[in-house]
Amino acid sequence: MHFESRPLTALGLAFGLWAAAAPALAQAPAEAPVDDQDVADILDALTHDAPAPQAAPIRPQGAQSMNPDLSFILDGSLAGFSRTPDQRGGHDPSKNGFNLQQLELSVRSVVDPFWRFDGNLVFSQYGVEVEEAYATTTALPHDLQLRAGQFLTRFGRLNPTHPHAWEFVDQPLVLGKFFGGEGNRGLGTELSWLSPLPWYLEVVGSATEAGGASTARSFFGGQDLGVQGPLDLQYTGAIKQFFPLSDAWSLSWGLSGATGPNSSGRSNRSDIYGTDLYLKYRPATSGDPTVIGLTCEALARRRQVPGAVLGDMGGYASAFWKFDPSWAVAARYESVTGTANDPLDPEWTGGRQRASANLTYWPSEFTRIRLQGSADVRRWVSEPTYAAMLAFETVIGAHGAHAF
Amino acid sequence: MRNWITGLLFGGLVALTPLAAEAKVKVVTSLPTLAAIAREVGGDDVEVTSLANPNQDAHFVDARPNLALALNKADLLVVVGLELETGWLPTLLTGSRNGRIQPGGNGYLDASTLVPLKQIPQQKIDRGMGDIHPGGNPHYLTDPRNGGRVAVGIANKLASLDPANAAAFKRRANALKAGADALAGSQSKRFADLQVIERHVVTYHNSWIYFLDWLNLIAIGTIEPKPGISPDPGHVAWLLGHMRKVHADVIMQEAYYPTRIGSLLASKAPATLVVLPGGADFAKGQTYLDYVKELADKTYAAIVKDTGR
Repeated sequence: MHFESRPLTALGLAFGLWAAAAPALAQAPAEAPVDDQDVADILDALTHDAPAPQAAPIRPQGAQSMNPDLSFILDGSLAGFSRTPDQRGGHDPSKNGFNLQQLELSVRSVVDPFWRFDGNLVFSQYGVEVEEAYATTTALPHDLQLRAGQFLTRFGRLNPTHPHAWEFVDQPLVLGKFFGGEGNRGLGTELSWLSPLPWYLEVVGSATEAGGASTARSFFGGQDLGVQGPLDLQYTGAIKQFFPLSDAWSLSWGLSGATGPNSSGRSNRSDIYGTDLYLKYRPATSGDPTVIGLTCEALARRRQVPGAVLGDMGGYASAFWKFDPSWAVAARYESVTGTANDPLDPEWTGGRQRASANLTYWPSEFTRIRLQGSADVRRWVSEPTYAAMLAFETVIGAHGAHAF
Repeated sequence: MRNWITGLLFGGLVALTPLAAEAKVKVVTSLPTLAAIAREVGGDDVEVTSLANPNQDAHFVDARPNLALALNKADLLVVVGLELETGWLPTLLTGSRNGRIQPGGNGYLDASTLVPLKQIPQQKIDRGMGDIHPGGNPHYLTDPRNGGRVAVGIANKLASLDPANAAAFKRRANALKAGADALAGSQSKRFADLQVIERHVVTYHNSWIYFLDWLNLIAIGTIEPKPGISPDPGHVAWLLGHMRKVHADVIMQEAYYPTRIGSLLASKAPATLVVLPGGADFAKGQTYLDYVKELADKTYAAIVKDTGR
């Protein structure tokens, strides 16, 4: 029998070897210590005896799947507030206790030689929203690029990004107040152009639906009056410039504007203007983990309402300092004005300021734990609101690269 | 006033329009080592730009928008592949609006398709094993024979983009390949004199496998417990004990990794810490062969440091 003869042969071989080696062992000193050299030689012999790697074909995994890149990002937090909070971001921790901020499913792939597709579906505990789903051209002539579908408009620095890319656990107040908890986005198309200037200058223009309480606040928002002409869409324009000041220092500067109808009456319009500056220091010298980022973003809004024009503004300034490959601290100051008789925020009649501080720890590049504290002063509320948040984020799958 | 502005704009656009006479092939590479190879193959017939510099960890390059600008004008993009650049290049590539250099385009060259790869995972992998590259270990340019293969591949690609200079590209690539193979032979002959125990090395990241196999050196451990995971005390203590037990003279690491743990281990084991460049110093004109020779020379010098050879 084949199965039995093999062990028997091996046993016989082992016995033979032992018998042959026995005289030699007997002559050796009784308890010869195994010295370092022996261990090294044994290890070395083992290493060299390891089976040679098979003559590997150059690319054995050539038959890759055509599946898109998938990733899941979970953001959850434990939060506590000293009084009822007024968080403005749709994915902010907004109640005492545990908060599921979001579970994002990101699906990306090249479609064909002319398009790529990016989709971000966001799950809450009770439902799913199509946060973004758009196709982008990759090969239009004249340095043009078209996006079509549902996307975050490229107004300012933070609006086009996802919570996963933010330094802070919550959304800046001004973005929540002007655009809504989900940030300004909508169904539409966008055309952008990379100028032939010697520095990076990109011009972006988009037309999107003006409805959506949490995505087009200030415009039609929750009360969509419908599209009866081209002026019933939201138009967004932006100029993005980037200056590599040195190998270590970078500066980006954006100017943005959005205009669209609001629902306070036929042909009443809202305009929002913004500017954003981002200064980054990341030394290109070896082994230095330092990253310093300074971000400033300011927005001003003007709305026509029956019998009046409302104006308000707001902004934030933040500083981020990564001082270790796994640790960073950040601080942010925000200020947003209010107006009387605001139909969207009737209680927000005066200034509101919030200061936040944040400590981040990355156990690996795929998880992040953040502790954030803030003090929120609303003029129309007698006492400041203090908040503490411990947030956890984890990413699985092939999450693509982030923009600068 | 309006005329003045129009004139300025028009003048500016004219000044920026590239002159047709200088239609050199524009090559962009992800890493400086590839740039050094491309420059040698392309000679004066190409213009070469590297997105990353040798001080940067190729896994974590900043996707600065000016890099998209370089990609926008590129005729050929050469990448290491194997998902080494996956954290930063795709965004830039989309932003470049350049259809020629998108994956699958005629101007896209994944250099990993040109070399025999090592450490291709044969089992199902997950991130619990650290940052494993599913296609194989991407640090293949530390073996000059691979650099020679890549040179030939770049020459073939350049020849298809600029047939007029095809012969020159191939001649330069073959010269580089011959030089690389000669260097591989002479260095491996030099390392062959080393005692077995002198061949033991510790590396920071699992990025030297091609280099070690070329020179018949043996990795006995890495400072990272798993690829891409920062060292923890338990692992470092184990590694120190292991180094003392099996003996390792040399700790090798790229300059972009922190040297604190390497220095500590070097002083305690004891061993010599060799900090090596993360890539060819393309900006300063270093050639690929000079870079690889520097890697081998510094490593050899550290190994024989205390032996008086």
